[in-house]
Amino acid sequence: MLVSQIDMITPSSLSECLNQLSKAGRKHKLIAGGTDAAVRMKEGKWRPEIWINIKNLKELRYIEEREDFIHIGPLTTHTDMIQSQLLQRKADVLVEAAREVGATQMQNMGTIGGNIGTASPAGDTLPALYVLGAMLELTSLTNKRTLPIEEFFTGPGRTVLKENEMITKILIKPQKPNGLGIFQKLGPRKAQSISIVNVAISLTMDNDRKCAEGKIAFGSVAPTIIRARKCESMLTLGQLNEELIQNIAKIAWKEVMPISDGRATATYRRDMASALLERGLYRLIRRWENQ
Amino acid sequence: MNTKWVGKRVQRIDGPEKVTGELKYMTDYHFDNMVWGKVLRSEYPHAKIKSIDIEAAKNLPGVICVLTHKDIPGFNGFGIVVPDQPVLCSDIVRCTGDAVALAAAETLEIAEQALTLIKVDYEPLEVVADAEYALTDSAPKLHPDGNLHSHVKIKNGNIEEAFEEADIIVENTFFSPRQMHAFIETEGGWGVMDEEGFLTIRCPGQYAYRDRMQIARSLAYNPERIRVISSPIGGAFGGKDEITVQIYLALLAMHTNGRPVKIHLSREESVIAGIKRHPFKVKMKTAAKKDGTLVANQVTAIGDTGAYASLGGAVIALAIEHSCGPYKIPNVDLEGFCVYTNNGIAGAFRGFGVNQVCMGIETHMDMIAEKLGMNPIELRKKNVYHQGEVSSVGHIVKSSVGTYKTLETAENCDLWKNREKYKSEVSEPWKKRGVSLATSFHGIGMGIGLPDYGAATIELLPDGKFLVGVGCEEIGGGNSTVYAQIAAEMLNCDISNIMIVQGDTQRTLDGGTVTASRSTYTGGRAVAAAAPKMTELLIQTAAEMLNLQASRIDIRPNHIAADGQIIPYKSIHKYLYDHHQSARVEGHFYLPKEKEEIKGSGGAPHHLYGYLTHVVMVEVDTLTGETDVLRVVSIPDAGKVMNPQGLEGQAEGGAVMGIGYTLFEDVLIENGYHKTRNFTDYIIPTIRETPLIETFPVEKPEQSGPFGAKGIGEVVMIPIIAAIMSAICDATGARIFHLPATPERVFNALKDLKKQKVQSAR
Repeated sequence: MLVSQIDMITPSSLSECLNQLSKAGRKHKLIAGGTDAAVRMKEGKWRPEIWINIKNLKELRYIEEREDFIHIGPLTTHTDMIQSQLLQRKADVLVEAAREVGATQMQNMGTIGGNIGTASPAGDTLPALYVLGAMLELTSLTNKRTLPIEEFFTGPGRTVLKENEMITKILIKPQKPNGLGIFQKLGPRKAQSISIVNVAISLTMDNDRKCAEGKIAFGSVAPTIIRARKCESMLTLGQLNEELIQNIAKIAWKEVMPISDGRATATYRRDMASALLERGLYRLIRRWENQ
Repeated sequence: MNTKWVGKRVQRIDGPEKVTGELKYMTDYHFDNMVWGKVLRSEYPHAKIKSIDIEAAKNLPGVICVLTHKDIPGFNGFGIVVPDQPVLCSDIVRCTGDAVALAAAETLEIAEQALTLIKVDYEPLEVVADAEYALTDSAPKLHPDGNLHSHVKIKNGNIEEAFEEADIIVENTFFSPRQMHAFIETEGGWGVMDEEGFLTIRCPGQYAYRDRMQIARSLAYNPERIRVISSPIGGAFGGKDEITVQIYLALLAMHTNGRPVKIHLSREESVIAGIKRHPFKVKMKTAAKKDGTLVANQVTAIGDTGAYASLGGAVIALAIEHSCGPYKIPNVDLEGFCVYTNNGIAGAFRGFGVNQVCMGIETHMDMIAEKLGMNPIELRKKNVYHQGEVSSVGHIVKSSVGTYKTLETAENCDLWKNREKYKSEVSEPWKKRGVSLATSFHGIGMGIGLPDYGAATIELLPDGKFLVGVGCEEIGGGNSTVYAQIAAEMLNCDISNIMIVQGDTQRTLDGGTVTASRSTYTGGRAVAAAAPKMTELLIQTAAEMLNLQASRIDIRPNHIAADGQIIPYKSIHKYLYDHHQSARVEGHFYLPKEKEEIKGSGGAPHHLYGYLTHVVMVEVDTLTGETDVLRVVSIPDAGKVMNPQGLEGQAEGGAVMGIGYTLFEDVLIENGYHKTRNFTDYIIPTIRETPLIETFPVEKPEQSGPFGAKGIGEVVMIPIIAAIMSAICDATGARIFHLPATPERVFNALKDLKKQKVQSAR
């Protein structure tokens, strides 16, 4: 398929879009910000017959708090999230992660739905969504289902999303007043880089340095994002002092299963899972104490 | 000297249009009737070509022509020194950047499709992936004379005796990366042949006249019938010194019925086909006495030039000439090998071999200082050569030498004086800071054996302004502004009255390359040689017009005065025009050179060198190995500074490029195939990796230069490499010998250090 032969249609509503998606017998693909799709098209990897352009489906671009959840539309851009006061107050870890995605231009164009749909093990917003207990709403013309983000990915670039489905909503649990989170990323340089390892941490604090509950998710160290459940269970063992932090960090080494590639070796990735967790916990505790 | 323009902070004359994006680079142009050219690159890093079938490609609708080696009318090869690179391969391919065929089509997409329809039958051959392996008998020969392209050797004194008598010896092996120029404008341009067979090639380059000769040789075409326009350029740094796509454009233009043909490499193609900096392996052994006097240095440098020579021989020669730093070491044994492999193609790049050896000698200087408990500045001051002294390669340095002064300035700069205070101000407890310095130098102009000259024209224009023509292109370094400053100064006019034209075989004279940190010196001196002739022309003409003695004519700012009358330059132009006299003058000169070549050195020594000392502060995250360069002090000796603002621009750009080289950049090639494909995995510094950079020039005027200037374009990126390496060590105790110092390499060095400490504690 040549690029010049690809058609593009632009549905004006969600229902029209779902209608288009339900049409069988042709290869189509959604395109929103295009920060992944355009690159893959150029590389020759993604050459559908039709692009379904959803960039301007305004009804899928929102951030709002309703009942017990924060609802995020899949076409919300990274910049929207960075600027959202609601997220800054109640989902700081997601704001930090969005800030680390690519460059400003990418943040302006790239969407949260796209970041999830691309299903890269290195996707920066994904670990943040994991620790915020994200649920994804998937919709087709005839069906709607909601599942935890952990169940969405099946491998690098692979998800349970069906041909006729699209992500229509992301639900996250807002942090409590004594909750705080952090996103740590190690890339080959500070800006505009793909993660070698990243980690999102979300803690609910009791008092002093005692943690009541915490979630930790790593990116870029396994076929999908992974929760570090062993480390999580140790967060509540006692005061989060230097010794406990170091012990928890050491365990991270056992929870990851990285591979070597051009960016880093597996050994270094393992070491960095521990290092980033250690650094993240130090920084979180310092933030907590300065609050 | 009291000057109005020279030495002043003059805004770049090409600044506004570049900053606003108004300037059109040559690859920005589109024409309605234009066709697109594409180059088919080799599938294998090393293979025999058994056959090439272009029928299917030719028959694709929209294809205008498909060309192979059979369509080259002249010599099928190019290369600045040895033309060993085929324009289009006929029998063997030696790297994946090799060109096998060309296609021109109505659209870029059709041209790309045409390439996929060309059937090349290859027989893959063993790949030579390592320079040291290439030198063994078992490696296949990539060129008829074998895999050793060049070998240089400089030997002085008695190295064995010196090592025996030395109090301290340090010995290490250094590995340096394959840096990419990463210019904003990838290789490209366009060509057109008119009805009368006159060929115009617009393609960014660093020497229009030489590009023209190389095109003419391949086309077997009268060079006078070819015009090459090579300026302006979206960055070059040496990467456009060699032929890039000029010959392809010329060949295609001969087959497109007069329609302009454009080629513009994608970043991916540029990564594979464009030249790179030579990766080096440098073994170095340096000896000193207890008092810090350097007594011996032994160096073996192996440079991987990839499949073709380009300027590889000259790069190795310059590396060896500079391998002992700006010091006087009496006993040296220096040897360099330039080796063919199947790893892409390496050639000219800012620094030209000096980067790779500076990291060795300067690291050794710090290791010696540390072992002797000596201040690293004191050690360097003790060993530097001064003007009139004998350098390590054994020649008397007659031109100006600023090293000592740059070291004194370093010693007194805030960062160095207060380094303990700054080092203690870490931002987080697991971070460590280090402050170090390094010094280096870089030859200016061609070495011995290559003719080196400058030429410029000045033309009086109808509106009374001056058009200054210099062959040397504006590759981004700011030479156009310097030429304008010199012309305005010497013609006693406002700089807005100076127009500049560069890099055009029809409008400028052959004035040599924009390489070797030479264009301020040579172009500037050429303008300075032409300017008095223009003044003379103005005075003589005015005298003739007024029927007065020439001595009674005065040059005033922007006009001529005589006997109370004022003659605007416009009138002088009109007079010359009416009387069929030329309004253009030329200035020529020959670059000073050393008389005697050091035996076996491949062109050493140079007559002129620029010098520079860098002081840097880094912060290392000991948890991850990330290194952050926080502050840089750049202390250049460029002779007289022509434009402080321009110098700062060079110093800052050079520092950032040096940071990239030291910490991030490397084009990875495995078994002849590129693992690095584009800027996704080729990491260059962004503004977030750019520290505070201060520039404190010391001016050691060079008598022979225009207003005392030398050159600075390359040395601005060199000592910072070693300075960062040492600062990492100062911060953490871990020494890095393999660049780039990625977080992983630094982290592993820290891990090893911990292990050593544990073991030695046992």
